[in-house]
Amino acid sequence: MNDVVVNVEKVSKKFCKNLRRSMYYGATDVIRSMIGIGTKTNVLRADEFWAADDVSFELKRGKSLGIIGVNGSGKSTLLRLLNGIYQPDKGRIKIQGRVGALISLGAGFHPLMTGRENIFLNASILGMRKDEIKRRFDEIVDFAEIGDFLDAPVKTYSSGMYVRLGFAIAIHAEPDILLVDEVLAVGDANFQKKCFERILDIIKNGTAVIFVSHSMTTVERLCTECILMKHGKQVFWGNTRECVQRYFHEIGQDNLLKSLQPQTVGIGDVVFSDVYVYQEGCDRNNPNIEFGKNIIIEFNYKFSKKESNNNQFRVTIRTFEGRDVQKFLFQESSFIDNVVYPNEKIIAFKKEGTARIKVLQPRLFPQTFRLDVAAAPLDIDVHLGGVANARIFNIIHPSTDKMYLEYGNMGVNEFDYSVEVN
Amino acid sequence: MNESTRQDPRNTIMIYEPNQRANLGLMRSWVFMFSNLINSRYLTWQLFKRDFISGYKQSFFGIFWIFISPLIGVLSWVFMNYTGILNPGDVGVPYPVYVLVGSIIWGLFISIYTATAGSLSLGGQLILQINFSHEALVAQQIAQTGANFVVNLLLISLVLFIFGIAPSWKAIFFPLTLIPIFLIGTGIGLVIAVITVVVQDFNKLVSAGLGFLMFLTPVIYAPKFQNKIIQNVVKWNPMSYLIVGARDIILYGRIENMAGYFYSCLLAIVVFMLSWRFFFLSEYKIAEKL
Repeated sequence: MNDVVVNVEKVSKKFCKNLRRSMYYGATDVIRSMIGIGTKTNVLRADEFWAADDVSFELKRGKSLGIIGVNGSGKSTLLRLLNGIYQPDKGRIKIQGRVGALISLGAGFHPLMTGRENIFLNASILGMRKDEIKRRFDEIVDFAEIGDFLDAPVKTYSSGMYVRLGFAIAIHAEPDILLVDEVLAVGDANFQKKCFERILDIIKNGTAVIFVSHSMTTVERLCTECILMKHGKQVFWGNTRECVQRYFHEIGQDNLLKSLQPQTVGIGDVVFSDVYVYQEGCDRNNPNIEFGKNIIIEFNYKFSKKESNNNQFRVTIRTFEGRDVQKFLFQESSFIDNVVYPNEKIIAFKKEGTARIKVLQPRLFPQTFRLDVAAAPLDIDVHLGGVANARIFNIIHPSTDKMYLEYGNMGVNEFDYSVEVN
Repeated sequence: MNESTRQDPRNTIMIYEPNQRANLGLMRSWVFMFSNLINSRYLTWQLFKRDFISGYKQSFFGIFWIFISPLIGVLSWVFMNYTGILNPGDVGVPYPVYVLVGSIIWGLFISIYTATAGSLSLGGQLILQINFSHEALVAQQIAQTGANFVVNLLLISLVLFIFGIAPSWKAIFFPLTLIPIFLIGTGIGLVIAVITVVVQDFNKLVSAGLGFLMFLTPVIYAPKFQNKIIQNVVKWNPMSYLIVGARDIILYGRIENMAGYFYSCLLAIVVFMLSWRFFFLSEYKIAEKL
């Protein structure tokens, strides 16, 4: 069987900016096709524009494709074309297998009907047959974690339960191609994790997944390849990392990259310099670190006055978008009696010197990260000094087409590390 | 389009191309839509349940709403007849029975039209979000009216019984006479459904027009009268034959003007087929305009 399940060839879709004209065009198009004279769809009439313009790509089973771009770049149009909601005006889309959509969770739910009734209703809207729904019913209920509420009207549900049920139904439709539009941010952290894992499973089982997302973290975690859209045009198709970097480049010229410039924080009692993050045994100026290798974090520090010995260094790895991944805390003494928190280490500092952290084979998946360093007294909530975005570094994988999915969840396990301070 | 069967979704190959539907022949488009209808019968049933059952969940009178509106309608005609304002001519049966049967049949036509015409706007958001057979939306709306009509049939039988009118055995053809009414109601409705998505006030205009059409159709009066103009209007109004035919088969066990009835049925079929084709061609445009 052919492995390519989605084949998009030079597909374009046009829309009309002017409501009155769009009504007029719609009417003439339908009347013309009624009497058998087709309309040329491949040329623009007054007030029309290409919402998707000459898009081509293909996707194999078991692969995942991200579609990224700023608002209005044509992502949703593309998704609707793939879903068959819009008909292309140029080009050709070929889809092999059943298409599922995680687009609007709980679409068509009736608030007065029970969860049970709504499962049957929603699943049938999503194209499941009666026997399929019956077969997966228990799984859906389990996954949604709605428990006793199964036979209560969905209007009594919390909003979390509502989307959980919607997600559970959609994900159990067992599609060959799954279209996902920005819905992974539903429910609480636990449920989000579950959704992620479920989607990873689905990809492993051979479903092709297409994501539309503004969360680059999600895209980098889930997508083996990526498309960057700009003004309806596909400006890049290929490796996710490169695509995401291009995206940041596009949107970031003024705001994001600026925010990633090193920024001094705190009252200036401690000054940091020469911050480096690099792969053990490699050049410390090289910001690219191979996945799974030991990471060295190094910096010089200088206290302008150092009277007490209750200071703490806080080194934080964050995602490109700013989410904390891992904090390394090490300090001169324990804060309360002799209690040492699991993620803290006790180590003596001088007034100035060099600190060196060795992170042992961290489970950081390929992405761009930033590093913050700071120093603070244990008992007062003030930064003595520090640098945000002191260093930007990349985790890379030697074979880029390898799925990023296998890297597991970041930040779930604490990293193993050792510290020396001179 | 779903070119192959739905039985094994893994082997289903869907191709989306420009003007795909227009390039599909007249005959094939009907076959296509018909198979869509068959394939989505479970969805239709689910949508039907959603709207029918839950429609009455938060109501006090519940299912009695179905009776209430035709009864009130009949009451007003009977009142006007009783006071002498309305002279329906010789109808051969008690006037309340005549007007009840007529207005229930006319009501079926109107509610099939209304249901079909509103189906797409009602399904609005859903159409934009999920790809499913829109035929199911139309079918479930018609099923709603069908269910209401069955309840009304009970009302008709009750009234016939009370007035001691025994219908002739030919009344068993009554369900057949509903088919052309269904076809023409759906036919007009499908076109308006599409247009309403684009121009929202169109539906209101047609509804008002159909309200007036009732007076040009012998629903509340007998089809014999002196005025030449009305005579001509009724003669050229296909609804006259369809409504009168269905009513007469119950009340008198005959259809008077067989030729007129036949041509009207033919017209209903043509209207239905063409508007189905129209619906089929413009379905994609709907999502873009929503």
